[in-house]
Amino acid sequence: MFLKNLDLTTALRPSYLPDEDLLFVQDNVGLYEGKYKLPNQQNGQVYLTSHRICYVDKTEPRKYSAALDLKDIERYEFYAGFLKSSPKITLVPKANKRASLQPLRNGNASPAQRVDSPFRAPPVDTPPASSATWVCTICSFSNPVPSNFDPTTASEHTTLPPCLACGIKPTLTHILKATISNATSRQPGGGPAIYPPLPDRSKQGSESTAPAAQTSPSPFQAADASASFQCPRCTFLNHPSLMSCEMCGGPLISNDLPAELMQQRRETDSPGPVLSSLAPKSEALESVKISFRGGGEKIFYERLKGSMTQRKWLLQGAPPIPKTSSNGLGVGSGSGGGAGGGGVGSAGGQPERVKIAGIAGLEQRGQSMRKNNEIVIGNAFEDLEALMASAKDIVALAETFARQVKGAGGASSGSENALLAESASQLGLIATKDIVGSGGGGDSLYLSELARTLAEFLTDDARGVLRKAGGIISLVDLWAMFNRLRGGVELVSPADFEKAVNLWDKLGLPVRLRTFKSGVKVVQGRDRTDETTIRALLAWMQDLHNFPPDREVAWDWREFGRGVTARDAAERFGWSIGVAEEELEMAEERGVLCREEGIEGLKFWENFIDTGEGASRTHSVKEDNERLMKALKESGFL
Amino acid sequence: MSTTPPAPSDSSTPSNSNPSKTTTAGTLLPNDTFPFPREFFFPPFFTCQTNLTTHHAQLTKWSSLLLAYCRHHRLFRLSLNPDALPFHNPRINRRLAPGDIRRVVDFLRKDGRAEYVLPLGQTRKDGTMTTTARGGGEAGEGGEAFIYWRTPEEWGSLIEAWVEETGQRGSVLTVYELREGEGTRGTEIWGMDGDVLVKALGTVVKRGKAQIFQSGEDSLGVKFF
Repeated sequence: MFLKNLDLTTALRPSYLPDEDLLFVQDNVGLYEGKYKLPNQQNGQVYLTSHRICYVDKTEPRKYSAALDLKDIERYEFYAGFLKSSPKITLVPKANKRASLQPLRNGNASPAQRVDSPFRAPPVDTPPASSATWVCTICSFSNPVPSNFDPTTASEHTTLPPCLACGIKPTLTHILKATISNATSRQPGGGPAIYPPLPDRSKQGSESTAPAAQTSPSPFQAADASASFQCPRCTFLNHPSLMSCEMCGGPLISNDLPAELMQQRRETDSPGPVLSSLAPKSEALESVKISFRGGGEKIFYERLKGSMTQRKWLLQGAPPIPKTSSNGLGVGSGSGGGAGGGGVGSAGGQPERVKIAGIAGLEQRGQSMRKNNEIVIGNAFEDLEALMASAKDIVALAETFARQVKGAGGASSGSENALLAESASQLGLIATKDIVGSGGGGDSLYLSELARTLAEFLTDDARGVLRKAGGIISLVDLWAMFNRLRGGVELVSPADFEKAVNLWDKLGLPVRLRTFKSGVKVVQGRDRTDETTIRALLAWMQDLHNFPPDREVAWDWREFGRGVTARDAAERFGWSIGVAEEELEMAEERGVLCREEGIEGLKFWENFIDTGEGASRTHSVKEDNERLMKALKESGFL
Repeated sequence: MSTTPPAPSDSSTPSNSNPSKTTTAGTLLPNDTFPFPREFFFPPFFTCQTNLTTHHAQLTKWSSLLLAYCRHHRLFRLSLNPDALPFHNPRINRRLAPGDIRRVVDFLRKDGRAEYVLPLGQTRKDGTMTTTARGGGEAGEGGEAFIYWRTPEEWGSLIEAWVEETGQRGSVLTVYELREGEGTRGTEIWGMDGDVLVKALGTVVKRGKAQIFQSGEDSLGVKFF
């Protein structure tokens, strides 16, 4: 399957394309390619959106995350799991994707390693139309192999027709063998050979005999000359660049298979074969399986079905839906033919519009716009699902309103309106309990997703929440702002909020929670420490030495600067008053500032009281003592 | 109880807007000759600090300020009045609160450099009545304290040295004579506070070099051995 590289946001979630909606999140999933586990992608979270399926690895998210476009999927299958094997969803790619392969991981590809898995499918364009027959083992009736049976993509889940005479279903291997022999007998020379997935896999899929099967051909390698490659099964001398034997169709292992890889395969300690390394794969794209070790597969399947039928990715480049006018012209903007009926110009795609000049035209235009708005709003708000679907239109509407109001009102309300307008667009991208599955450990997944959403919200440059608050914001303010943004949908309780915030350190996100001595909790970026804050404060107070205060003061401001109140600090740094008080007190605790309580209130000054002379004072006392002793000694008293 | 200081007084500029003459030791205030240190003009100096390190430094500086002030003006007792120098800085209009004044005096007491002045007639902790204004452990509001910029022991040694110098060992002197007599004029003993003098003589007695006795009402005599 065409697994592409994935862009992650700062909170290590996939960054969404425009118009992409998040449908489902599930953690504790692993990825398979074909039958093999992808070795570094076994523990992570899968995000199902309207355009893609994204996998974010838990251990090294930036390196091993991958995405997969929904438009590349031809079909998908559901496997409910049995005993030890977990439920899986198989995604089969569209067969004629011929683009060049991209490596799954950056920088790990070493073209020197040409490892050829014996179970790799050969390049086939179309499955061979087989007129093969298979002989039933029970009644020895010869049945036709179904025409849509494709040995390259057949897996243990392919439905096999039973024998026509006795009604017993054959084993997959049996049919495969039949097709192979049929194919080889049909095409004696070259041509695409067909690979059976050879070893006898039990239906439970637990054991893997792949290592065993692999080691068997290896002793034959040594005997190969460089000119031709001897097939391990039938000892036919093939051309060295072939991947399958011409005679028997058995797999050919390349000459330079390093021994370590054999070891590697044997060392996997989990059921299921593991894909060991990177190789310039053959062009047939394997199916990709997602294994759900933590549940959630049913909902994923449902939502996948829904999004595949909706095919939202097609909308991305699509023209806007023309507003249906009473004339009932066809959809699409291509219909330039019909003349617009009597003056009802729509805001949508009809190119023809009867122009009426003057005030009447303006009035009519305004009227038609209002009518359209009415229709859109009516359709959207009737049903929540429909609202989500038509979110795009609603957002556009909200933005126009916001712009109008902003123009009318003052600048102060502009930012609020912007927040309101954006809230609609967030409807699709927030982590709600609804989106996150209710499988095992659902609560922790919800909290970690919430934590990531919060981190993104804080570090989002467009909104600049942290920046506007001076780089540090109290937890309560943040909670209020965040909930206001949710707009009454899926509000977050304070307990959940606090739990999510406590996860920040564990998830390694770039913001952190800080508790002051008095118990006040604030949120700040990871790079702000006490030291940086103190340095900033001192630098500011040093500046005050240079600038005379506004009014006459009794002390020498050149020498001492000026006392600052919490309000001054808040103004200067953009903090809130509570935060400013806490920061000043923290600096006082470090001994950098000292306080003054006067009629005007509490002020903080640079600490000129304790300038390190205390240490020298004890030293001078000691010196006096020494001098005294010396004098006494000299005068003979001691 | 303070007398005119032996040093000639300087004239200081009376204006308030510009800082007055600054000597190497400190700044002079109008109507005073004592050079105040830099911290005295720092407003937070008059607020009790919460940070312990800073607080300790603050107390230390206040103590040295008081000692220096009293030494300069030859004050033996200091009135703990928040509205007067040295607890009040008129230029920056800040004063030390009475509680904080007491804290500073307690700090000095730990060093043995101060004692509270109990008013007459009060019962001390050990049950005896105060007959003279002797130092004790408690003080009322805005009381007074002895500030020993020279401890009684040091005074005692000074007196002894003078007695030795003038060859009056063995003779009997009255306390009054020590304080106001002609013999001590020109020394530091002249014009001492009576109580402090008596205390100083007490230390000499403890060392066994003198003896005090009552000679007539209200007058004490001392004999040096």
